[in-house]
Amino acid sequence: MRGSSPGRELLLRQLTLTRGPLLRMLAWSGVEALPPLVSGLFVSAAVDQGFLAGRPGAGVAWLGGFGAAMAVRAYATRAGFPHLAGVVEPLRDALVERVVRSALSRPSADPAAVARLTEQVESVRQLTATLLRTLRGVGVTLAAALIGLTLLAPAVLPLVLLPLAAAGLLFARLLRPMVARRRAVVLAEERLAAEAGRALHGLRDVQATGTGDEAAEALTEAARESAAASQALGRASALRALVVALGGRLPVLAVLAAAPWLLAHHALTPGELLGVATYLLQQLDPAVRTLAGTVGGWLLSLAVVLDRLATTTAATTADATAGPAHDSSTPGRETAAEVRLAEVRYGHGGGAVPVLEGLDAALRPGEHVAVVGPSGAGKSTLAALLAGVLVPTAGRVTVGGVRPEPARQVALVPQEAYVLPGSVRDNLLWLAPDTDDARLASAVALLGAEALVARLGGPAAVLGDPGELSAGERQLLALVRTYLSPAPVVVLDEATCHLDPAAEERVERAFAARPGTLVVVAHRISSALRADRVLLLDGGRGLLARHGDLQVLSPLYRELVGHWLGSAPRTGAGPAP
Amino acid sequence: MLRRPTGWPITLGIALPVEAATTLALPAVLAGAVDAALGRPAGPGALLLLALVLAAAAAADATAAAAGPACSAEATAALRGRLVRHLLALGPGGRLRGGPPPGDLAARLLGSAGDAGGRLPAVLGAATALLTSVGAIVGLGVLSPWLALAFFAGVVPGVVLIRLFLRQAGPVFARYQEVQGVLAARLGGALTGLRSIHAADAEQREAARVLAPLPELSAAGHALWAAQRRTAWQATLLIALVEVAVLTTAGALLADGALAPGALAAAAGWAALGAGLFEQVEALVGVAHARAGQARVDELLALAPAPCGAQTLPADGSGQVELRGVVVRDGDRVLLGPLDLTVPGGRTVAMVGRSGSGKSLLAALPGRLRDADEGTVLIDGVPVGALAPSELRHAVGYAFARPDLVGRTVRDALAGAGPAEAAAAHTDGLLRRLPQGWDTPLDELHLSGGELQRLGLSRLLARPTRVVVLDDATSGLDLATEYLVTQALDHATHGRTRLVVAHRAAVAARADLVAWLDDGRLRALAPHTALLAHPGYRATLSDTALRAAAG
Repeated sequence: MRGSSPGRELLLRQLTLTRGPLLRMLAWSGVEALPPLVSGLFVSAAVDQGFLAGRPGAGVAWLGGFGAAMAVRAYATRAGFPHLAGVVEPLRDALVERVVRSALSRPSADPAAVARLTEQVESVRQLTATLLRTLRGVGVTLAAALIGLTLLAPAVLPLVLLPLAAAGLLFARLLRPMVARRRAVVLAEERLAAEAGRALHGLRDVQATGTGDEAAEALTEAARESAAASQALGRASALRALVVALGGRLPVLAVLAAAPWLLAHHALTPGELLGVATYLLQQLDPAVRTLAGTVGGWLLSLAVVLDRLATTTAATTADATAGPAHDSSTPGRETAAEVRLAEVRYGHGGGAVPVLEGLDAALRPGEHVAVVGPSGAGKSTLAALLAGVLVPTAGRVTVGGVRPEPARQVALVPQEAYVLPGSVRDNLLWLAPDTDDARLASAVALLGAEALVARLGGPAAVLGDPGELSAGERQLLALVRTYLSPAPVVVLDEATCHLDPAAEERVERAFAARPGTLVVVAHRISSALRADRVLLLDGGRGLLARHGDLQVLSPLYRELVGHWLGSAPRTGAGPAP
Repeated sequence: MLRRPTGWPITLGIALPVEAATTLALPAVLAGAVDAALGRPAGPGALLLLALVLAAAAAADATAAAAGPACSAEATAALRGRLVRHLLALGPGGRLRGGPPPGDLAARLLGSAGDAGGRLPAVLGAATALLTSVGAIVGLGVLSPWLALAFFAGVVPGVVLIRLFLRQAGPVFARYQEVQGVLAARLGGALTGLRSIHAADAEQREAARVLAPLPELSAAGHALWAAQRRTAWQATLLIALVEVAVLTTAGALLADGALAPGALAAAAGWAALGAGLFEQVEALVGVAHARAGQARVDELLALAPAPCGAQTLPADGSGQVELRGVVVRDGDRVLLGPLDLTVPGGRTVAMVGRSGSGKSLLAALPGRLRDADEGTVLIDGVPVGALAPSELRHAVGYAFARPDLVGRTVRDALAGAGPAEAAAAHTDGLLRRLPQGWDTPLDELHLSGGELQRLGLSRLLARPTRVVVLDDATSGLDLATEYLVTQALDHATHGRTRLVVAHRAAVAARADLVAWLDDGRLRALAPHTALLAHPGYRATLSDTALRAAAG
């Protein structure tokens, strides 16, 4: 809670942006404080100078004044709302944006991001609104009631302030354990969100493996853990009732116990006693109750949720901008297509064995290179390094002499093709929005996607749910998109694995004919055969040579090729086992 | 799994009325204590009574503070449990064809179910507030009928106001949640393509696309505030009118000597309590949230699970798979069929065809990952739709090109596979390298497509199903690993009926029969050797192309 919590910084920064509405709202709060300030004074005046003094007219007049104050308050409430919306809605917008941007700039997908978007941001919105509406009212009421009490009957002040101070101390003591329990609730919800996200995305697999019951049981258990955390928090907050009793109710008892003595010594008139009772019961007690009971809880929730949001969305936002400043001058296509790897080393961090270690290779502009190697040899890591998505732990990767920048120089197509909800055209022109229709049509034809695009309803058709497309269809769309990209280097990371072989060959040949360098991470030997040269990855190092030479140079390559050819019939007449 | 009955709702149901009763009694008891202090005749021990009431109030307050969250937590957990069991048992079309996408489902499970779970405390809270205000009016009536009359002048418009708010806020809030769901679904979709997005340096652009509905959300949010604003200021004005009316009446009665000064304090207290009902906008918002959340959960609970029977398979069945007149459509478009196909028990059929020819769709039928729109799918002569779900899942096993891992740890995700299955799919080395081995949380896994596929194959081998479907399940493996895994897989599933979606001639050649699919139709069902003469067939296979390339 104390010190510079990231959540508080986040909130304050955002509130500064909307300080106009915030200040206007606070100003209206001052107006709303009018009734609590005058309530006791007016009521006691109405009794002492009016109803008990035999002048009912004066009494009615005093109460009418009170009514007018209330009417002003109603107007202030009404006037304050748009300013409240003006603070809270931009706050929500900013948080949603922050969550989305950080989720997308993270190195790997975080399933809890969706929960952050729906639940945590919504909590912040509602808590901030409720707090702004209530806290200011309560604070103003408390201050007004104490000022009113001082003006009316200073003699009773010690009887009120002592229990109030004790309540404040107790409340401060309760804060720390409650923050811990509140945090436990948020973490339990996040775990549930991650697990539920996996199960709901994997409904097909749940059904195929028949693990519906187990998955449901596990999720129910996670939901129960979350419920247990909420209940523990509830038990802790029950102690707040003590604070209310001490700060809000004890002063009433104390004043009434001392009243006979105070009245007897003329420190208090009957009207003043009624006024004091009005202040204590109608203003002070509700204020303390709200402050300790509800506002306390809300403040805690807000602090924890905001901290959580701030920390989970902070680091990556910084990462996104941490990349080295790039040279804005776009190198010419010829030199830009030259790819060099020098002493490249890459490890996943910690004590893990590096995936790549001392990898050297130089790819000529316009060359078509296939990357092969056993599982775990670092083929996808190499693809990500070439694309500039990953940065080597040591050594240099350069494209056209400079560090590769995603999208500008290198277009990477990963195995899992991304199809975005939107039109077919949006999908295909994602990397090159300015492409004209003729070029789009020729690329679609060249890569053999005409039938698919026609089936989807043409370029203008809208893809409602990309999940309805097969994996191969998604890959084909991603490939057409990449073909149109202006990047001089294309890296296909098993990007054709769901295509049938004829379609794969067609795609690879089209890309090979495209100006620029082509790197294909191969999962079929046919891809290696089509390439100018083959880069064999093994034990973190690489060997770049022609297919024929590599068969002579590398026993491993011979083995890889042998496995493939050996498992296939050499002639069409081979009998089926 | 029955819900364990607990005492929290009852505790809350007792604590809230007690709290209300003490709140109500307080003005009267206070009036007595004031009168006693002023030396007027009052009940004996008025101060002691006040202390007792205050103590009872504190106890009830504390109990309600613990019972409220406990109640909603319990209800939320129960509702979430019901929802996940329902969603996971829906059956064919596990993706909820045409229904909300997974991101939206998750939002409803987490957000809406939470809102709905708070229904009982919200309703009880609102009901207690109602009870308190009714009690306060009764209290006013006991002091003097005139006071009650003065109060009632304000009540009727107040009730109308509350009804109005609920009616206005309901749809506005539902709209808000709907837009939120759209945003969540968009983010979920973008996260599935995160690698492509990074590679395209398109984080900003995709963020903008995901955030496109944000102004709409903002508009719905502003509309919500506008609805609250109307109610809130009118309520404040109403309270003012009621309080002043009651106080003036009480003052007049005091002047006439009909009321004691303490009674004026009581009247003021009760008038505020009675009018406080209209100030309970937050409580009403809570009820409105709970209603809207419940509606969104009910929408999912209303999705009817796919019908299934209770039949079992003949114990001595060989695992014959038969498709009769099968047609699968998407709207009006035929994706597959009409198609008849019999896979004899214990045999291997390779399904071969271009992308989009319906191979995966056909493979989805025996295990009811998707139901045919027409025709019947039978295993050992029993329609799959008539089988008990447990029987079906013991009969058909799947491995996919891109398996989704479900659960908390790797062990959960492998669905019962042990070291032997892991070794057969060549995942034992991978599992050994993980920081916590089999107990590694799935959140911490960073797997390549091939590693993921091998985990999917281990998962398949965990159950000795009589039908095995391999849907492109080794496409992500490198050449050497694929060879080894295929050997082990052949050995482990020997003698079972195998449906294999294949791209390679080697796989097709090893199969007993090849089902050659073209544009959703069965072009031919014959051994590989018989089909090889056809150039169209050769074009769908990779190694035939290889031979051409190798010369």
